[in-house]
Amino acid sequence: MSRISLIITCIVALIVGLSFDVEQVYDDNGDMRLYKALATIGYRSVDHLPDLSIDGVSAIVGEDIVKYGVSKREGEQNSKRQSKHFVCTSCHNLEREDPDLSVSDPEARLAFTLEKGIPLLPATTLYGAVNRTSFYNGDYEKKYGDLVKPARDDIREAIQLCAVECAQGRKLHDWEVESVLAYLWTIDLKLNDLILTDSEKRTVSTAVSGKGMEIDAIQILESKYLKYSPAHFVEPMSRGLNKFNILGDAENGRKVYETSCFHCHYRNQYSYFNLDNSKLTFSFLERKADKYSRYSIYEVIRNGTFSKHGKASYMPRFPKEKMSDQQIEDLRAYISLMSE
Amino acid sequence: MCLSGAALAQDGAVYGTFGDRRIINTQSIETLPARKLDFRIAHRFGDLAGDAGGWPTFYGLENAADVLIGFEYGVTDNLTIGLGRTKGAGPLKQLINIFVKQKVLAQGYNNMPVSLAVVGMTSASTMQKSETEGVLHFFDSPLHRWNYHLGVHAARKFGERYSAQVSTTWTYRNIVPANDENTIISLGLAGRAQLTKAIGIILDTSYPMSSLRTRDNGFYPVLGLGVEFTTGGGHSFQMNFTNVEGLSETDYIPYSQSNIGEGEFRLGFTISRLFSL
Repeated sequence: MSRISLIITCIVALIVGLSFDVEQVYDDNGDMRLYKALATIGYRSVDHLPDLSIDGVSAIVGEDIVKYGVSKREGEQNSKRQSKHFVCTSCHNLEREDPDLSVSDPEARLAFTLEKGIPLLPATTLYGAVNRTSFYNGDYEKKYGDLVKPARDDIREAIQLCAVECAQGRKLHDWEVESVLAYLWTIDLKLNDLILTDSEKRTVSTAVSGKGMEIDAIQILESKYLKYSPAHFVEPMSRGLNKFNILGDAENGRKVYETSCFHCHYRNQYSYFNLDNSKLTFSFLERKADKYSRYSIYEVIRNGTFSKHGKASYMPRFPKEKMSDQQIEDLRAYISLMSE
Repeated sequence: MCLSGAALAQDGAVYGTFGDRRIINTQSIETLPARKLDFRIAHRFGDLAGDAGGWPTFYGLENAADVLIGFEYGVTDNLTIGLGRTKGAGPLKQLINIFVKQKVLAQGYNNMPVSLAVVGMTSASTMQKSETEGVLHFFDSPLHRWNYHLGVHAARKFGERYSAQVSTTWTYRNIVPANDENTIISLGLAGRAQLTKAIGIILDTSYPMSSLRTRDNGFYPVLGLGVEFTTGGGHSFQMNFTNVEGLSETDYIPYSQSNIGEGEFRLGFTISRLFSL
């Protein structure tokens, strides 16, 4: 079954990749692309289109880099694996993960990702990344310092920063960056992703068909999604507030554990620290929870683990927009329950 | 039946039957994940007690019966290769050991009751050729430097705490002392009881099926008992007590001549560190 799925996925990817054109107005499902809708109205929302004139650039190559960390240019051998520790999908989803793109709400995201069967991750989905104008926002400057400055307004620099610092890997070649960008343009926002009232839809439709109301349509569309991904690093909760576990919802905690923690830790997927559903594991996490240890869920979720450049995998920290204090408390409640 | 790496990695297969690729002396059914390099150092001190132990040798800590420095690498999730150098505790020393381990069955995958791994290894003595005819390292032929070992290991994990393994091994030495046999078939048993997420008690034993390898002839079954510590950072540390001196199968199985009853057992440890490649 999995092999058949893989073959079908490859064929679909090949077709999508070969037929991809950043100037396409509609995607393969007939949904109008947000970027093209705005452009049709006369508003160029972003200007980081891929440079397809560079030899070897393609969305297929970009997808390989994003999903598998490998790339190949025709007539050349495979490039060196981008990172020996991570791939983009270690921390980023490739699908829409928020029900309302105009807010960043981890509670709503958990329910939405559960429904879609995708993980809850510490980094923002790459779906719609090309529709954003700002990157490494909020407190990422505290983590990466001046490295953030060139990346904040430049998606290519952001891709490189992600490759080298976040993924602890090598810098991408120009043709690889453009390929990643080309792939990201295959997962850009569509009009159907935005929550529009009937009245707003009529306004947008009028503007797109060239019958006026352009300014109104632009304002509506631009208000329906975030052009940046907010990220605020907060201190771990005070242990005194949660030691009785009266605030947590264990069932919700189970969802966090299985959709977020398991993504990296189940069967040592990306981490040497294995997590499973055994009582041994829950007892361990429960014992460590109230300590100032990297094995405390409060500490490690908020602070992550220490990274050594290019040397080791590490755990990224979850900004409050990616996991709320309540979700952490829910997780604690689940761990406590399962360790009994 | 030999399953592909992808197949065995499917959900349903039991994970972490043992914490390490070796139990104490015996190979376990565990293989390294693909593209992981394991650097390991193992040490066997001298006799804790008996004639060669006690205070004069600080209970064996001042002696090194055997030392292993080696690398293992996960070619796929189910195929591990290894290269290591051991000092050697038998008559042949300075051993270069090469092994290949293939996991062929995984417990839980397709309702398989056990996991099964096959290990093939060879060791070559690199010690200097002796000028004295009649000793093993006279090396009349270069082939006399070589020994071989094949092991079939079947293991099952019972719940989250307990694991057991049964092994059948074949060991062949190209040259042996007078009145000894080239081929030794052994049966092995091993187990693990996980006390906490990080700490487990491990034990293993190996019994040669040979009429020559009796107590009367000065041979004893291989016994080992240890504590295994695993961390979340890719480290594994093991402390053990065992009666055998050698660290490679071609060394400790044929030359298991230490009698625990006379204090001829030793402290040992293994440090393992994983690296991503």
